[in-house]
Amino acid sequence: MTELLSVKGLTRHFGGIAAVVNLQFRVKEREIFGIIGPNGAGKTTAFSMIAGSLLPTAGSIRFRGREIAGWPSQRVVHLGICRTHQVPRPFTGMTVYENVEVGMRFGGRRTPPRGEVADEIERILEFTGLSGWGASSAGSLPTGNRKRLELARALATDPVVLLCDEICGGLNPTETADILSLLRRLRDSGITILYIEHDMRAVMRTCDRIMVLNYGQKLAEGTPEEIQDDEGVIEAYLGRRSWMGRKEEIEEQP
Amino acid sequence: MSAAPASRATRLPAYAVAALALLAFLAVPWVGISNNAIRLLLTTFLWVTTSLAWNLLGGVTGQVSFGFAVFYGLGAYTAGLSINGGITPYAAIPAGGAVAAFGSLLIGLPTFRLRGPYFAIATIGVNEAVRIVMSNLDITGGASGVRLLQAGRFSQAEHYYAALGVASLAFLVSWRVMHSPFGLALRAIREDQDAAADVGVHPFRLKLAVHALAACLTGVAGGVFAHYTAYIHPDGVFSFATSTSILLMPVIGGLGTLSGPVIGAAVYSIVQEEMVVHFPQFHLLLYGALLILIMLFEPGGLAGLWRRLARRLRGGGP
Repeated sequence: MTELLSVKGLTRHFGGIAAVVNLQFRVKEREIFGIIGPNGAGKTTAFSMIAGSLLPTAGSIRFRGREIAGWPSQRVVHLGICRTHQVPRPFTGMTVYENVEVGMRFGGRRTPPRGEVADEIERILEFTGLSGWGASSAGSLPTGNRKRLELARALATDPVVLLCDEICGGLNPTETADILSLLRRLRDSGITILYIEHDMRAVMRTCDRIMVLNYGQKLAEGTPEEIQDDEGVIEAYLGRRSWMGRKEEIEEQP
Repeated sequence: MSAAPASRATRLPAYAVAALALLAFLAVPWVGISNNAIRLLLTTFLWVTTSLAWNLLGGVTGQVSFGFAVFYGLGAYTAGLSINGGITPYAAIPAGGAVAAFGSLLIGLPTFRLRGPYFAIATIGVNEAVRIVMSNLDITGGASGVRLLQAGRFSQAEHYYAALGVASLAFLVSWRVMHSPFGLALRAIREDQDAAADVGVHPFRLKLAVHALAACLTGVAGGVFAHYTAYIHPDGVFSFATSTSILLMPVIGGLGTLSGPVIGAAVYSIVQEEMVVHFPQFHLLLYGALLILIMLFEPGGLAGLWRRLARRLRGGGP
C-alpha cells in the first residue's frame, strides 16, 4: 500500500482559538482511515482544510506528492478529493438526479461521454440505494436519504479519496449498517476513505486505522485494537474503562 | 434535464406556443393596430429582454442585483454615441451589449467576492456611482443627456422588429441556458454555493459569466431603447428606479422560470401605461404592495400562482 495523503503541521486558528494544531498524519491507498474525537476536537476543521473549503493557517497537505494546502475545493475535487457534509447540504430546489448530475458534470476527473451520463447517474443512485428517487425533489428527502444523496453526489465526482463527515449521524442501526457496508465496498473497489464518526461501534468495525483528536491535537493513531487499548484515549476521550473493556462486542464482525 | 416524463410532455406545446406568439407579433405592424399599441408592445419587448436577462443572474443563479440600470445605460449610451458618430445602428446596438458585458466584468470582479445581501447592497452603490459619473462626464453630455441624430426617415416598424428580435434572442438564450449543464451549475450555486464548489462548480467564474451574459442582453435592450427614443439622459437610463424596475418584473412574474419574467414584464408595462397617465406616482405604491403580497403568499410569482390555479382546476391537490 502506498501513501496517498500526507498532512504535516496543519494548523487552523479561529480568532484566538486554535481549532487544529500542528496536525500530522498519513493516509495510505485503499484504507478506511477513521478520525474520532470529542465535540470540538477539530475533526471537521481538519476535513474542511483537506477538502479546500477552509484555508489552513499553516501547514502542508500533500496528495500524491503534490502540495494542495490552500487550494479551493473546486480545484481539489478535480484531483479526486471530495467531501460530504456532516449536516447534508443537498441542492434542495433540484431533483435528486440533478444533484448527482452536478457532481458528475463538474467534479468529474473525466466527464462520461454524452450518452452515458444518465446511465452513470442511475448506477450511482442504485449503488447508494436511491434508485427510484431520481425525480424527487432533494428538499423532500428524509434524513437517511439525504445522507445517501451526500454520498451519491460525492461519488459522482469519481473520487480517489472520499471524505465522509459523520455520514451515519442521525441514522438508525439498519441504515448505519447499510452505509457502512457501502463504505467497505467502496474501499474494496479502490477508493480511499477518510471517515469522521461519533458512533464508536461503527468506527471500530469499519476503519482500518484510526486517529484520535482532542483539543485540535493528535492524541493517538493506530488500528482499532491499539486505539481501544490506549490509556490516553480512554482517559481523555472516553473516560469509561468499563465500556472500552467490552472488546468482544466491539470486534464482533457483522 | 431531468428525465421526468411529465416535463417532456409539456415541453412540446411550449415550443408551439412560443412559435405562434412570434408569428403573431411579427404580423402586428401589418394588421392596422394603432401606433400607440405598437409602441406599448415595443416597450414591453424591451422589458421582457431585461427581465429575462436579470432572471438569469437573480432568478437562476440567485444573485440579486440592484445595478442593472448600469448595463441598460451603458448599452444606451454606447449605441447612442456610436450612432451619432456615424456608425450604423446594426453595429452600434450590439456594441452597446459588448460594452455592457465588459462593464459587468469590472463590476463583478470585486462585488462577487460578496454574498447575498452584501452583494445586493454593493450593486446599489455601483449603480449610484455610475449614474453620478455619467451625469458629470463631458463626452456623455453630462446631466443633459444625449440627443441621437436620426439618419433617414423614422420607421416605427423597424424599431418594433428590433425590440421583438432582442426579446426573442433573450428568450432563446434563457431557454438554452436553463436546459444546459451551465444552467444546472448556476442553479446549484443558487441552492448552496459552497456545496456546489465542493463538487467542482466554480462559483466565482460562473457568476462572472452569467453576469456578463445578462449584462450583454440588457445592454442591447438599452441600445434599442436609445435608438428608438432618440434621447437619453443619466437620470433616466442610469437611475436607481430603472434598476428596481428591471428587478421587480421578474420577481412579480416568477423567478427562475422562463415564463415568469415574460409575464412580469407584460404586467408591468400595461400597469405602468395605465397608471402613469392618471396617477403619476401611484404605480410605485402598487408595485410595492404587489411585491409584498408575492413575497408573502406566492414566492413563485404570477407564474407560480398560475401553475397552482391550473393544478387546482384540473382537480389535483393544492
